[in-house]
Amino acid sequence: MDFDALFSGLDRHTLDGITRGSIYALVALGYTMVYGVMKLINFAHSEVFMVGTWAVLGVYTALGVSAGAGLAVVIGATLLALLAAMLASAGTALAVERIAYRPLRKKGAPPLIFLITGIGCSIVLVEIFGQVFKVFFGAPFGRVTVNIPSVLQTKELFTIPGLDLTITNTRVIIIVGAIVMMLALDTFVNKSRLGRGVRAVAQDPDTASLMGVNRERVIMLVFILGGAMAGVAALLYTIQYDITKFDIGFIIGLKAFTAAVLGGIGNLRGALVGGLLLGIAEVYASTIWSSEWANVTAFVVLVVILMFRPTGLLGESLGKARA
Amino acid sequence: MIRSSKTWQAVALTAVAGLALSACGTTDTDGGGGDASADECNFKIGVMGALSGANASIVLPSVDGAELALTQWENDECEVTLEKFDTEGDPAKATPVATQIAGDETFIGVIGGAFSGETRATKSIYNDAGVTMISQSATATDLTQEDPVEVFHRVVPYDDYQGAAIAKYLTDELGASQVFVVDNSEAYGEPLADRVEETLGDAMVQRDKTEVGQTDFAPTISKMESAEPDAVFYGGYIAEAAPLLKQMRDAGIDAPFIGGDGLYGADFGNAVGDAGEGAVVMCPCAPIEGDSTFAADYEAEFGAAPGAYAAEGYDVMSVFLAALDDGARTREDVEAFVDGYSGEGLSKTIAFDENGDVPQDAVSYWAYKNEGGTLVPEVEVAP
Repeated sequence: MDFDALFSGLDRHTLDGITRGSIYALVALGYTMVYGVMKLINFAHSEVFMVGTWAVLGVYTALGVSAGAGLAVVIGATLLALLAAMLASAGTALAVERIAYRPLRKKGAPPLIFLITGIGCSIVLVEIFGQVFKVFFGAPFGRVTVNIPSVLQTKELFTIPGLDLTITNTRVIIIVGAIVMMLALDTFVNKSRLGRGVRAVAQDPDTASLMGVNRERVIMLVFILGGAMAGVAALLYTIQYDITKFDIGFIIGLKAFTAAVLGGIGNLRGALVGGLLLGIAEVYASTIWSSEWANVTAFVVLVVILMFRPTGLLGESLGKARA
Repeated sequence: MIRSSKTWQAVALTAVAGLALSACGTTDTDGGGGDASADECNFKIGVMGALSGANASIVLPSVDGAELALTQWENDECEVTLEKFDTEGDPAKATPVATQIAGDETFIGVIGGAFSGETRATKSIYNDAGVTMISQSATATDLTQEDPVEVFHRVVPYDDYQGAAIAKYLTDELGASQVFVVDNSEAYGEPLADRVEETLGDAMVQRDKTEVGQTDFAPTISKMESAEPDAVFYGGYIAEAAPLLKQMRDAGIDAPFIGGDGLYGADFGNAVGDAGEGAVVMCPCAPIEGDSTFAADYEAEFGAAPGAYAAEGYDVMSVFLAALDDGARTREDVEAFVDGYSGEGLSKTIAFDENGDVPQDAVSYWAYKNEGGTLVPEVEVAP
């Protein structure tokens, strides 16, 4: 145990935790929105994120950009990659909804069935990237770790005086990007007409239908929005880690789901709080002990918080007026 | 609406069917059949290891090496087929493979397991059935030292020696006095890192443990930043080494990076990209001379230069084939022949002691440097 290491660099470790947590939070939004509207955990959401990382690689490969390109090229390629990742992830989420959930909903299947088809979709998507694409297209598909060119290279921006904390461009992009996307989503759900529909269906699907809200359209919308957020997370992830892999969604998905529960599943702001808290707890634990203790600590935190607040930190409330 | 949902179902069904078909395609069971009666010499040799997955590039060349040895073998009496079993390096997937091989009397030997974990999980199954195992690359110390079984042999030295060689490279070749040691907390990486730590003694500045499947190494990086190491050793496999090394270089830590033979595969260079330039991989395997007949034959057969453990795979197959040349026709014959075997292999002089290990003085350790994505032999290190 090394508490000195934690306290001597507390600012640095907190920043590391927020970086890690921002990505958890963005992915957690997908779980939380779908749960808020449908009372369903979309277990295929981890693969929605995974598809996004491949879209980023696809754009970089198609453009032929690599590390050390000019500023204009970097910005252009990154924005294009963002767009592609959001489209790919939203498209995947929508396809999962169409294939795995909608037919069952029409037939009035019991809730448990949705979980199984969700897990099924997740495995199919993993195998498509790990096996099927490898058979048809060869490298880089397959069960290997794939390098993504670090088009956006890490550069020091400034040092916070007094704290000796160096802020890099990638950190700023990840943290600011995640927070801006969450604020935008929060505003959209709370202020826009479509958002009002989402809240109405979350509160009471039957009454919402009677009032003229198209439930199927709202469900489509939450899958698209959740998917797009996972796409943003995918780009930020590739900026930070420069890799992808066929099963990369598994651990991120598990952590994001945990973050959603921690913050209060169904609650958008809860996803942010849960994600950041989880990221910080993991980094603190890894610093005090080592990374093999990160999961232990994270889940102990989860259990303890749920013991006292069974609905999570901020409670379940996509339908409530405040979120 | 009904029609469109039918269409979706059809799409889903086709996708699932395609998946099932392609899954069948991975299991390579060429040859097969052919019962061995007493006077007929018609046998199978199994090879078990990660033929797919993140670490497959450490295993596949050795399988190709074994195949090359079989192709070049000249024997009019006997018919031998090499059957490949993909375990993805996972002990849980290796156990049913072992049961299958053990239950089929036409298998007279097994090449592998390629990794230590799967070997540990299966060696008692093979031992009960009397199937001789010769591993081309499983290096964990306990396999032969703490818990030896009759049938297990290997043509590589165990990790105690590899760890010592790595420590020696760090201190003597690099002149490092503040080494940061990281491992992956698993059967291969942890004991290897322990051994490196033990040999380094005061030359180690700090030790950190990570996990298999981890991608964010920020806590490890900040420990490195305060420890200011002059070299970093990682005990583990490619999948985690790549993001760790990338994040180190991103954070501006440019201390030399050294890994064990868990990184000795072509995929290491691919996964790590530019950040891996100059990274060193230590391996208990001598480089294959580019102009040797083996290298030329291998390249002609498989279209690439021999990769990780290709020569070892060739050697293992040659031992089994020599047993058949010698008249071995049962599992007992093969076991007896292999125990007493002594001969010159491509990788080293091959003989097995009572634990199944090759003589340590026959082994050479090499440091390979990653240059532009290829591992280039740098220097030989004696432990």
